[in-house]
Amino acid sequence: MQLPESQVAVLNAASATEEQTIERLAEVTDLEPETVTGAVFDLRDDGLLAVEERVEETVELTEEGELYADDALPELRLYDAAVELGADEAAVPMGQVVGASGLEGPRVDIALSNFARKGYGSIDDGEVVADADADPEADAEARALEAIAAGDDVDVEPATLDRLESRGLVVRDEHTVRSVTLTDAGVTALMEGVEVAETVDRLTPELLTSGEWRDVEFTEYNVEADAPEIRGGRTHILRQTADRVKDVLVGMGFEEMEGPHADAEFWINDCLFMPQDHPARTHWDQFALDVPPMEDIPDELLERVADAHRNGVGADGDGYRSPWTEEVAREIDLRGHTTSLSMRYLSGFAQGELDPPQRFFSVEKVYRNDTLDPTHLLEFFQIEGWVMAEDLSVRDLMGTFEEFYNQFGITDLQFKPHYNPYTEPSFELFGHHPETGELIEIGNSGMFREEVLRPLGVDCDVMAWGLALERLLMLIYGFEDIRDVHGTLCDLELLRETEVLH
Amino acid sequence: MPVVDVDPDELRRLTGHEEKDDDELKEDLFALGLEYEGETEAGEMQLEFGPDRLDRLSVEGVARSLRYQYGDDRGVYVPDTNDADWTIAVDESVPDERPYVTGAVVRGVDLDDDALDSLIQLQEKLHATMGRKRAKGAIGIHDLTMLKGEVPGGEGGPTITYRGVAPDGDRFVPLDADAEMTPADVLEDHPTGRTYASLVEEYDRYPAIYDEIGLFSFPPVINGRRTEVSTGSRELFVELTGTDQWTIDRMCNIVCYALDARGATIERVDVDYPDGTLSRPDFDVEEKTVDHAQIERMLGVDLDPETAVDLFERSGLDAESEASETPRKDGEAVDDAPAYEVSIPPYRVDVLHPYDLVDDVGRAYGFNELDPRYPDVATVGGRHDRSKLEDAARRSLVGLGFEDLLNFHMISEEENYDRMRVEPGTDAVGGGDPVTITEPYSEDYTMLRTWALPSLMMVLENNTHRAYPQDLAEIGLAAERDDDENTRVAEHRTVAAVLARHDATYEDAKARLAALCADFDADLRTPRTDHPAFIGGRVAEVVVDGDAVGVVGELHPEVLVEHDLELPVAAFELRLDALK
Repeated sequence: MQLPESQVAVLNAASATEEQTIERLAEVTDLEPETVTGAVFDLRDDGLLAVEERVEETVELTEEGELYADDALPELRLYDAAVELGADEAAVPMGQVVGASGLEGPRVDIALSNFARKGYGSIDDGEVVADADADPEADAEARALEAIAAGDDVDVEPATLDRLESRGLVVRDEHTVRSVTLTDAGVTALMEGVEVAETVDRLTPELLTSGEWRDVEFTEYNVEADAPEIRGGRTHILRQTADRVKDVLVGMGFEEMEGPHADAEFWINDCLFMPQDHPARTHWDQFALDVPPMEDIPDELLERVADAHRNGVGADGDGYRSPWTEEVAREIDLRGHTTSLSMRYLSGFAQGELDPPQRFFSVEKVYRNDTLDPTHLLEFFQIEGWVMAEDLSVRDLMGTFEEFYNQFGITDLQFKPHYNPYTEPSFELFGHHPETGELIEIGNSGMFREEVLRPLGVDCDVMAWGLALERLLMLIYGFEDIRDVHGTLCDLELLRETEVLH
Repeated sequence: MPVVDVDPDELRRLTGHEEKDDDELKEDLFALGLEYEGETEAGEMQLEFGPDRLDRLSVEGVARSLRYQYGDDRGVYVPDTNDADWTIAVDESVPDERPYVTGAVVRGVDLDDDALDSLIQLQEKLHATMGRKRAKGAIGIHDLTMLKGEVPGGEGGPTITYRGVAPDGDRFVPLDADAEMTPADVLEDHPTGRTYASLVEEYDRYPAIYDEIGLFSFPPVINGRRTEVSTGSRELFVELTGTDQWTIDRMCNIVCYALDARGATIERVDVDYPDGTLSRPDFDVEEKTVDHAQIERMLGVDLDPETAVDLFERSGLDAESEASETPRKDGEAVDDAPAYEVSIPPYRVDVLHPYDLVDDVGRAYGFNELDPRYPDVATVGGRHDRSKLEDAARRSLVGLGFEDLLNFHMISEEENYDRMRVEPGTDAVGGGDPVTITEPYSEDYTMLRTWALPSLMMVLENNTHRAYPQDLAEIGLAAERDDDENTRVAEHRTVAAVLARHDATYEDAKARLAALCADFDADLRTPRTDHPAFIGGRVAEVVVDGDAVGVVGELHPEVLVEHDLELPVAAFELRLDALK
């Protein structure tokens, strides 16, 4: 039988009758204990050695513990000094006793508190009285320290050990002791003869270029052992989710939009036929910016939008009974939805007039003055998408969204009739949570109103929908607090350890 | 979105469907667009719905919609009204800011506790929505028997007067008070007065309503105690004031319909403006024309006209079929497809366009009955160049071992500038002028960040208990004030990265920056510069293809200590478009 050198040495050193520890084998073979351990395990796996394991506790003195073992416990020094000064007969000022004991710094406090605890005397009004009957020779802690220092700690009371440990004088440690004996197979192998195989640890350039690699055996590794932890970079999980959404939408024929985060209310709200006194347009819901108003808004478009607000669109259309001013329209806010981008594209302002059919989307940040809580952020990503075609019905809208949500495991969509100022009909989309089965709102959708489309110069149908990306993320990953993920309060560990979903 | 609390038993009673259990009701309500949100302590259902059908802000309105849905009621219903006895005279002293008033007299009411609660709820919800927190319209409901309208020895019927009053011009006892107060006292000392003070405090004269005894209502703030409504009230005077006649008329109609549903009789009042008299409530039925083709187009199904008329009627509308002249969208003439003259009841506030009526037809048909289909139009999808570049740069950074982060674009001045030792209005990277939020609600979010390094430093600060190294990167928005831009804001995408590790050096940051630039075939130079956030002599300008686009260096110890960091941080930040 051929075995690596270390295994041969260990096998030769082992005995069938006498248990030997790893340390002992290391001594005998003159190998490192780690090497012996590795060899022992390999030999055990081959059935040549038997290994018995038991857990032993070791107790070692700390630096402070060693000091007291050499010297004496501070409380005993204090007692000796007190007796010296006659405190066993009459009270002696504490300062005198401390001075005589030679204790300094934090030791003084240690001595004083243990002195009283162990009944060596009492300290009252700054005076020390020593108990004449106390027996420092019998101090259990002092004796335990001595015993441990001498390596003879078997008989130390566990309670005393606990006390010493809490005083920081000893450290206790558990370790596994392995005892090794030869098995019958091991004895047989030795009798039949065991030779050393030439093994190498590392594959070196020399081995490769010389061709020596042909004649060597490679040391076996414990391939099941843990490897050191390393971390690579990774894309933020919210970005990953956004990328998934983008992939799905591009695959469905949608083209990505782009546009400003700070925009005129005109593009954010007025084009969407949101009356200027709409509750969502107060400063409680949106972030107005402290900048001058926007100058460049196409005049004709501005007039058509104003007219839609005031007078409605079409022969039988009515406007809002709400005031409308250009000043409000030109004010600049952080966009509350990315529908501002849809307006810029539909009007032709973004990249020229569009002819049907078209599909556009964006997955971009929006800003809303909501209360920050586990499910609401002041800024979040909105998935926005729309389809422009000559003739679209509610059925097309339903078909598109079923397809989209299907990609994320959400089937069986329900459409709840809803109201938005800018779409009619409008639907809130509900779906069953893929994990919990609960019916939850997963989006808002509708067909853009003529009051939105006609002023923009669009003469066909457009259906649109929006949804918070964070909502989709929480749905997919089951997170409970979005603040752990998005923003400067994020938890790096959570981001590092979250499973990658695709 | 509005939420209305509805007692399910009362709803069953008012709809006449005692057999419906709660789950069936919830399902029927969902189909109408009312979502069950939970229940109140008293066991009432909390129903949330879009702010269009404000006539559903009370149990009476919800019941009416359900009766139509079930087919128990059909077509437009208009309550009978009795001729006017009372007049609301509008005096010339009425404040210019709030010139409109309307109202109705309601007799034979029988208010038990539930009905009174429902009426108060309806009033409050209308204030919150259509009334724009009472600014646009406010409702006052009074016990008619406590009003004295007859002028002693005068002619004509009883009259109340809407007029203006000087802030301390008169006194009355408001609701929830024991002593007489002037309107100015109310705004200062009465809790309700303080809540609504901002609506009128700028006025020269405050709105007020008088009868022969004196001031009894101070709209839109508070009513007087004299005319307070209780369960014992049998006759009511409803008055509304506001900034738009149509709005308050419709609010009035919704209140009248709710009381009518409880068996009360509506009596008209004359509203006497200096330039003419209106008879109110205004229960006129409006009409709009809906093409049959429009309905079929929207639903995507063929429908025979009888079904369409049935669906209109089950929406509480009347539809009169007539031949259509309107061609279809594709230009094909459709002589055979009819149009409908649709009558709209006066409690509807949401119908601006025939499409809104088509939506009613769809709801009555049941949108969830429709078969979804994938639209048969072909388009080519694709990503925007900017977002493709951003993704490519992100992939490079991740490949270099950075953890990709995602932080807020809003930040505070302190974080963006002070804690980074950077002054606003300087040339240093991050030193651009701030775009500030006019009325920030949180001191943590007062401006858009001018650079992204402060965000990464905050993440490091909040994660000192996590394992190092922490090599973090972010590509995101940064913005600064620029009045030459149409939006007054210059926005750009920025690439920022930090290496927080015990041995981080300038060289580590530059090595990764160089690798990133190499991925994009960008020529990188790093001439020395000064930047207050970095250690002098260990900071360089990032020059890519000849343009100064960023900064790279070792962060200044003061910045590190400020962020509670006990190890060095090397960092870089540059504009994304430099990699184009």
